Amino acid sequence: MKALVIERKLARFAAARITSMVAPGRAGGHGPLSCQEVDAPALPVTDGSWHELRPRLSGICGSDLATIEGYASRYFEPIVSFPFTPGHEVVADADDGRRVVVVPVLSCATRGIDPPCGPCAAGQINRCERTAFGHLSPGLQTGFCADTGGGWGQRMVAHDSQLVDVPAELTDEQAVMVEPTACAVHAAKAFAGRPTVIIGAGTLGLLTLAAITATRGRTRNQGPVIVTARYPHQVAAAKQLGADRVVSGPELARTVRSLTGSMAIGDQLTGGVSTVIDCVGSSDSLAQALQVVAPGGEVVMVGMPSNVQLNMTTLWHREVAVRGCYAYRRADFDTALDLVGRLDLGRFVTQTYPIHDYAAAIEHASNAGRRGAIKIAFDLRDRPRPIRSVR
Amino acid sequence: MARIRNGRPTPLATGGNVARAVRTRTAGEARAAVARGRARLVRAQFPLRAPTVPRTVEVPEDPDELGANFDTEWARRGPAKAVRRLITAGPLAALITVVADPTVIGRDRLDDLRRAEPVAPLIFAPNHHSHLDIGLVIRSIPEPWRSTVTVAAAADYFFDTKLKGTVAALALNALPIDRHEVGRTSSDRIRELIDDGWSLVIFPEGGRSPDGWGQGFKGGAAYLAAKTGVAVVPVFLDGTGAIFGKGMKRPKPGTTTVVFGTPMRPAEGESTRRFAARIEAAVTVLGDEALTDYWTARRRAASGTNPKLSGPDYTGWRRQWALGEHRRSAPAGVRRRQRRRWPDLG
Amino acid sequence: MPRPGFVLDVDRSTPPTLFWRGEGFSLEKLPADRSRVIYPAEPLPAIDDVDGAIRHALLHPVDSDPLPALLFPGMKLTIAFDDVSLPLPKMRKPDIRQRVIEAVLDLAAEAGVDDVHIIAALALHRRMHEFELRHAVGDRVYDAFAPRGLLYQHDAEDPAGLAFLGATPQGEEVEINKRAAESDLLVYVNINLVAMDGGWKSTATGLASYRSLRHHHNPATMQASRSFMDQHRSELHKSNWRMGKVMRDHGPKVFQIETTLNTDTFPKGFEFLSRREWEWTMRDRASYLGVKKSLDRTPAKLARKIFHSIEAPHQMTSVQAGEVEAVHRITTEHVFAQQLVEVRGQTDILTMGIPYISPYNVHSILNPILVMCMGLGYYFNMYRGMPLVREGGVVIMTHPCPPDFHPVHHPSYIDFYEQVLSETTDPVRMSTEFEERFATDDWYRHLYRTSYAYHGVHPFYMWYWGSHGLQHVARTIIVGGDPKTVRRLGFTPASTLDDALEIASDVVGRSATITHLHTPPLMVADVS
Repeated sequence: MKALVIERKLARFAAARITSMVAPGRAGGHGPLSCQEVDAPALPVTDGSWHELRPRLSGICGSDLATIEGYASRYFEPIVSFPFTPGHEVVADADDGRRVVVVPVLSCATRGIDPPCGPCAAGQINRCERTAFGHLSPGLQTGFCADTGGGWGQRMVAHDSQLVDVPAELTDEQAVMVEPTACAVHAAKAFAGRPTVIIGAGTLGLLTLAAITATRGRTRNQGPVIVTARYPHQVAAAKQLGADRVVSGPELARTVRSLTGSMAIGDQLTGGVSTVIDCVGSSDSLAQALQVVAPGGEVVMVGMPSNVQLNMTTLWHREVAVRGCYAYRRADFDTALDLVGRLDLGRFVTQTYPIHDYAAAIEHASNAGRRGAIKIAFDLRDRPRPIRSVR
Repeated sequence: MARIRNGRPTPLATGGNVARAVRTRTAGEARAAVARGRARLVRAQFPLRAPTVPRTVEVPEDPDELGANFDTEWARRGPAKAVRRLITAGPLAALITVVADPTVIGRDRLDDLRRAEPVAPLIFAPNHHSHLDIGLVIRSIPEPWRSTVTVAAAADYFFDTKLKGTVAALALNALPIDRHEVGRTSSDRIRELIDDGWSLVIFPEGGRSPDGWGQGFKGGAAYLAAKTGVAVVPVFLDGTGAIFGKGMKRPKPGTTTVVFGTPMRPAEGESTRRFAARIEAAVTVLGDEALTDYWTARRRAASGTNPKLSGPDYTGWRRQWALGEHRRSAPAGVRRRQRRRWPDLG
Repeated sequence: MPRPGFVLDVDRSTPPTLFWRGEGFSLEKLPADRSRVIYPAEPLPAIDDVDGAIRHALLHPVDSDPLPALLFPGMKLTIAFDDVSLPLPKMRKPDIRQRVIEAVLDLAAEAGVDDVHIIAALALHRRMHEFELRHAVGDRVYDAFAPRGLLYQHDAEDPAGLAFLGATPQGEEVEINKRAAESDLLVYVNINLVAMDGGWKSTATGLASYRSLRHHHNPATMQASRSFMDQHRSELHKSNWRMGKVMRDHGPKVFQIETTLNTDTFPKGFEFLSRREWEWTMRDRASYLGVKKSLDRTPAKLARKIFHSIEAPHQMTSVQAGEVEAVHRITTEHVFAQQLVEVRGQTDILTMGIPYISPYNVHSILNPILVMCMGLGYYFNMYRGMPLVREGGVVIMTHPCPPDFHPVHHPSYIDFYEQVLSETTDPVRMSTEFEERFATDDWYRHLYRTSYAYHGVHPFYMWYWGSHGLQHVARTIIVGGDPKTVRRLGFTPASTLDDALEIASDVVGRSATITHLHTPPLMVADVS
């Protein structure tokens, strides 16, 4: 079968990193990623709890790009296993004929660890303590594990507990948005009805916004929710999804100051919003978050950060909490399925590519904002549908 | 002696430094040449030197070309004007800035006249503490008057020798004036100059202050203004006395203030003496303005309580003491007036 | 004898016309046979003995006792003066305010008045920098009063510094500077550059608080002011005059001193800016080319600095003092004598070159909101009778309109541009939805009181200023303006004047008449 594979070739990672510094998005062709003819992954256990899946659509996520472009933190090294096929935003046909989306987190249940670790027992699979143990190779999620395959290949395997049935009325495009939406649903729990800023209006930012606006009460005192967006299509999407205010990055501090009636000392607001959801995860976005968060407030990191440089004095002085927010729980998928259908989030899939065209796909995904895209996905269906662009 | 030193064997024989030897010899020759020249000068005789006068004859005195009769006409013609402009802009301005560091205020009071077409000449009437005053005033007067200003300078001080007189006329455009009695000739000459468009600086006090306090104003400026119809600009100078006052051997750099007042004209039928008194009063108010501020000066002027430039009536050390008090009430003193360390004995 | 202003009918031999474009200008060819250019009058001759005239006015006031008779020892005297927004450009030293204030102080000194305060009547404008205060009142007055805290600037947000005088029958609250209100005599030193200034507007606006100002600085009043230049048809002025009555009944005695300036606007080297193009001499053409070429190569910041350092050779044409209304009547006559130009009939398209300066950006940046205010607020309103442009007509301005804001002077403008204009350009909606939040924002209040910022509500007022214009014209086009910014203002960008006329033809047809306001120097069109 054909699959895109990431191998552990340090020289390639280095080359990818250099390439992407010079020409963003061009790392796809030069990096550790290649399209290969490989054996389909075998079922780890043959007791019927594992299924073979044929991916239909598989999205390209920011964390995939970080890996391909060599920006991902060395932290991941022990919790992934090479060579692996990426792809964890998957809608697929299961061997029993069901159309499913995959919950990619490889928790205790999938690793045959019994009894499960504490978090898994409590249903908090995203906090699983055994991501590198059990009968599977290390891998925090499907798409980072050598044994399971991933969505960017023609075959993959998944455990019973990872499968979520897709209602017939959802299109594949909608279904492929379920996994990122679940992420957003999890992140949206940080919204406490008070003034909130979402930094970044890429896929995660927009979906988090959608998750907040879809669930918050109808009263006006819920929020406001302020979103920073750089590109016109992001602004339009954020407005359409119900952001109270969409601003450009440089406007954020001024807008927050004005809306919260805060004062300012230098660049630092004295007040601010109680919650900032950072969907970018860069040094700049974090600095901006600390600039506009109120004393005692919380910065939630949804976008995957790597090594960041940050002046933490304001965090100390203003008793600000910075908290991570990773993945989702099983229940988040149910909410996500509902949201995706209700808000037609499938329209955010801007364009799909066949897997052999991966270099173009990666470049498009890397420059999504600039090129007016939100989500780019690989199309692995037998008869690829005509490319459609969705606003 | 030189010859002996020159005749000394060069250190070549001992294998010394050739260059040093050459240098030593050249220096020696130069010294010898100078010595020869001097000797020739000392030996020079009559046609080369001024004649000696036989004891039995009396040489008639030359007509006096020094003092009030010093001819300065040439200093107001083309080349001298150009040279003076260079001196005023260069060395004079630099000297005043270094030594006196002046703060000039009130120039705007001359703006109306400055913009008039054509610009009329003015008579500037400052108080007088120091020889520095002349340079300070010239440097502070705004154009176009600066390049057309002449200074009435004491004939007995500035024009007592040919050299001093020439320098004063060239650099300061000084006019010799007899300070004790303005002779008809010098006054006529000045009137002619003013009619020709030259402005004038005249120190109505007639001389520098002997003790740091001012002296009464004489009528010169008022008289000239009345005769020529030119406006008088009262000017107050502060600080020059402390820098290079009368009796000081060398200047002690400090700061100065120059205040220009509103141009004044004699009222109809006003006597020269009255007008002179009015000019003195105006300078007094400017003095108050320089040492306190405009509003205080105006209020005290209205009630006639400006501190007199001529100081208190008593004499001796108390007069000197009061001068210190007077100077201390400069702008900084108004804001943070120091407590008197000595009771007021006034 | 200076020539009066006149209206030129553009024909095929008319040379191109000068259009201001912010810190620059261009020559534009207006279509022949359907265009007119209105030229302002040449500067009237000035008074020779300015100080004498001032003293005469103080000693022989209109409808009032001479100033010395109003002064007595032990009294509280307050002198208020117009702020940095007047005159434009700033006048060559000595400023007329300095001369008048010194004349008043001389009389006060003679009368033995000790308690004198001097207050910059800047309403909600920004505080003046020290160098600006020194320029306005002169070094002497500044050094005498400022260090003692007796020369200061009105603070419309100081609760302890305001006094409530009462309300008009229409419920307009009159609240002015407390020191001024409690003085035995309030002397107001005014500069009347345009007919809008002066009168009760000096005191009732210049020394007022937000609470008081909002009664006449609002869309309803502004829309009902059929030119701010015509006091009798201006709701803004009627409101101020009503407040004046309250001040007369309950406030301090006011001794108003008003001065008018001629329109001698540009110094040597820039005279061509106020000259009629066909009279440009070789030297004018050379300086136009020289200035334009070098401006094209100058960074915007430097160009701004150069322009704002221009000092106008303005000279005083009249000074009158005494009772507010009587004085203002004479003043207005003098202003109109200089500025009024008779114009016959309205036009379809009104064109105007927006210069680098407005009353609100001295030593600062003419930001997009001020461009709007200059165009639709000021130039549009430079009429008496009826607007120059017909209802449903088009206004074409020329200005580069970059989205640049002065961070110190105009902080609330930035927020207004980002947060309000992105939502609406409708003055009425602004006033109901946004105004209060900006007006009561502590941060703006802090910057207004302690820094050099315009009040938080000021950008709203600037927008209201143009509200009649917004209502009146069907389309506004900005030639050479940054497209994104121009669209944010709700206007149409165009790259050249020809394009703009083309766009305008959608609204007013192909043979529309065009009128160009050749200003500055200032003028008021008397349209019949």
